[in-house]
Amino acid sequence: MNAHSPPRALHAALTLWLAATAQCANRDVQERLYAPADASRDAALFAVSIHQPRWLEAISTGHTDALGRVVEVRCETCHSTQQFALPTSATTLGGPHAGMRFEHGSNQCASCHDPARFDRLRMATGESIPMTDAMRLCAQCHGPQARDYEHGAHGGMSGHWDLRRGGRTRNHCVDCHDSHAPRFPQFSPAPPPRDLPTHPHPRGSHG
Amino acid sequence: MSRDNKTAHHLTYPRFLLSAFWRASEGSWVFYTWMTALTAIALVGAHAWALQLANGMAVTAMTDHVSWGLYIANFTFLVGLAAGGVMMVVPAYLYDDHDMHDVVIIGELLAVAALVMALLFVVVDLGRPDRFWHMLPGIGRFHWPISMLSWDVIVLNGYLLLNLHVCGYLIYTRYLGKKPDPRWYRPFVFLSIAWAFSIHTVTAFLYAGLGGRPFWNSALLAPRFLASAFVTGPAFIVLVLQIVRRTTRFTVPEGAIQRLLSILRVTVLVNLFMVASEIFTIFYSGGAHAAAGRYLFLGLHGHAELVPWIWTAISFNVLAAIVIHTPALYRDRRVLNAALILTFVGVWIEKGMGLIVPGFVPSTLHEIVPYAPSKAEWQVCAGVWAFGLMIFTVIMKVGLQAMTGEMRAPSAESDAHTINNDDHAEEAR
Amino acid sequence: MADAKDSTSATDTTVKRRVALKVLATTLGAGAFAKAIAPIQQFTASTNAQEWLQKHYRELSSRELREVLARLEAETKQKYGREVTIEDVRPQAGVQFAYALNLSVCIGCRRCVEACHQENNHDRASHNSYIRVLEMEQGSMDMERGRADYDHPVRDEGKFYLPVQCQQCENPPCTKVCPVEATWKEPDGIVVVDYNWCIGCRYCEAACPYHARRFNWRKPEVPAHEINPKQSYLSNRIRPQGVVEKCTFCLHKTRKGELPACLEACPTGARVFGNVLDPNSSIRWVLENKRVYVLKEELGTRPRFFYFFDK
Repeated sequence: MNAHSPPRALHAALTLWLAATAQCANRDVQERLYAPADASRDAALFAVSIHQPRWLEAISTGHTDALGRVVEVRCETCHSTQQFALPTSATTLGGPHAGMRFEHGSNQCASCHDPARFDRLRMATGESIPMTDAMRLCAQCHGPQARDYEHGAHGGMSGHWDLRRGGRTRNHCVDCHDSHAPRFPQFSPAPPPRDLPTHPHPRGSHG
Repeated sequence: MSRDNKTAHHLTYPRFLLSAFWRASEGSWVFYTWMTALTAIALVGAHAWALQLANGMAVTAMTDHVSWGLYIANFTFLVGLAAGGVMMVVPAYLYDDHDMHDVVIIGELLAVAALVMALLFVVVDLGRPDRFWHMLPGIGRFHWPISMLSWDVIVLNGYLLLNLHVCGYLIYTRYLGKKPDPRWYRPFVFLSIAWAFSIHTVTAFLYAGLGGRPFWNSALLAPRFLASAFVTGPAFIVLVLQIVRRTTRFTVPEGAIQRLLSILRVTVLVNLFMVASEIFTIFYSGGAHAAAGRYLFLGLHGHAELVPWIWTAISFNVLAAIVIHTPALYRDRRVLNAALILTFVGVWIEKGMGLIVPGFVPSTLHEIVPYAPSKAEWQVCAGVWAFGLMIFTVIMKVGLQAMTGEMRAPSAESDAHTINNDDHAEEAR
Repeated sequence: MADAKDSTSATDTTVKRRVALKVLATTLGAGAFAKAIAPIQQFTASTNAQEWLQKHYRELSSRELREVLARLEAETKQKYGREVTIEDVRPQAGVQFAYALNLSVCIGCRRCVEACHQENNHDRASHNSYIRVLEMEQGSMDMERGRADYDHPVRDEGKFYLPVQCQQCENPPCTKVCPVEATWKEPDGIVVVDYNWCIGCRYCEAACPYHARRFNWRKPEVPAHEINPKQSYLSNRIRPQGVVEKCTFCLHKTRKGELPACLEACPTGARVFGNVLDPNSSIRWVLENKRVYVLKEELGTRPRFFYFFDK
């Protein structure tokens, strides 16, 4: 019997296979599989900016102009020229602030607002700060959240994770939390998954 | 070997093939009806598969939750059937059971047909069968030895080749009227015995190796697969042997049937024992890993789609076990045959709807998305089975006629050797 | 039919008649078969020789890859009516991605699911997405008690929400099982699929313990104006029918330094993404300062996707 002995055939096959693999791993392909050295490595970092919601400086009048745009009025329009008495509760507020809901612990208006200048805020230390610096004020009580925010672990964002290649925009506290009722509101989610493409009324669930 | 060298194989082999084709297409009206019916079913299946290819596998009832279904269930079962044939080979070659030796080729031919079906079931389950060449070593990227599926491809094709070689060699030498040279087939037969265990072990490892599927991730899976394979193989062959007895001149010694039945008496119980072990582990320990078992046997969270299937399977197997252990019952061939059919169907359910599907329900995120095969899947499935049975019928026809000496080369030496079936053939003339 | 006469006693004419009958039957059978599998033409029309002969992604030379990308762009234009750019975005040296998700602040709004659906050009009809959000019972980590099909205002009382997507495992069970190496782990930790190499056996889908993989049960359909034209070969290009796909951490964005779409869509900032090799990154801070956990740790898959609670 003069057949190929199996080990020899196996060896031949292995050799062929190795040759084929080696050919595949030619330099061009190897180079293509990795990105070229990163030229931007030592480049200056792009900025992380915090989004500035308009309602920190202005309030909607509830009216729209001829083009359909919401007419806003800046805080100082009223609060720099007139003096108002500090209300006892949010429900007593009238005018542009009527109907405000207040659900923020046992805080009083003056806990955050500067009684001297209503277009400004007042820190616990008594320091008066502009509305746009609201995050400093929030951080006084919400330490863990502020710490997480500082480290990128709280609050939505968009842009780049790699600041060498682009900037990042982060949400402000009040982008997501109404400062007068900061609990995240309930809303309807996007539709549930459709799991059974072949069936008209898909329903993948526990019964 | 010396005589073999004188034969001009390049002339006789084509003639052998031609003769085989001619004989494969000769038969009674029963044969023609049988083949026509199978052809029709196979065509329906081919059409359903073509539509599946054109429109996507969305025509099946499979989903991202139950991503394997009827096709892979049948694949698993058929690998078992192919491996089951070895229960003829072991007594014939390892224990020199002469009665079994006379009919052992039927087990090998069954392995060929079952493997063709198993491989077809893999092909119809592929989303991109056109890319089959990606699997070929050398030109594709065959992920061996890491992927268990690559092992399965090797063992299944290897087993197919082994059996094709052994059967082909024996049939061809008989056609030439020569005595087969043991050196050309005995080593392959012994290899095929070990190989038969490997095909079903590897197929079990395909599932058992998945840590994310607790229902499959059991060391018992491979032994259980083998046990159930050794139920279906002998059961199917006993049925076939009786048909062979009635429809051909091939002699089927009663000893072979009795031997297969005594094997079956053990394997049916071993299989039931293993199912019982699984049931114990599931229900006594409970917990999240038992969810699939609960869903299968009792239903879960109001879903009980598989409960009727599995209890049908278990009752079929228990009933069959009772029959083949009760002389008063199994002495009646009709009762025995009914029991063989019951256990065959029982294992088919147990390995398909009872094993593949619960691997996916509940899903890995513990969601219950039920699965029931679509019409297209049943059509493709029937088509593959019909095609496999056509192959089996044809190779049995040719093989057995060569064994009996009905199919002989004109140059064949009629006195080359005599065995039981040759004698029988002579008598029949 | 030389041997026919050795076993039949029939005359030559009967033999001839039988031959004629058999030839007729074979012809009929072949014709019927051709008719039965005719729908295949529709399938073959959807593909072409270049695609069929295309090499594995990791074996393509730069020139071959450029040709493939140009061909895919042209095909997208032709099939979907949209000009797109398909790039090959490579992993960056010194970058290993990881993701963390704050379960205390996730409200289960599925905005990430939607963002993924749009960013990655998922099939519109099946509303596919790589993210699945489970609504879980407070006080239980048992997914058995979670459900993905909730449809009521969120967040609901007594519930928390568990978004699950590809965990980009260090020891991925899915890549191991692929018989053709159509899926593998890239140097930056992202597990990808070569959609032009996958044979659609779905073994990876069975192997994944996190339901992270999806199969294209039919040709994905996306209206031209909804297609995201910024695509890459290994991620969000429109997938062919019959292949497996998965979350790639939006590698077409993240390998350019951008944040993944699901993170940008998150209204609560529950998601933290970055380079774990950078000691000053947010992800590192979370991993070092929060009590993080991974899903199904007992499986030894070592995910790169972490979950944590604030309190």
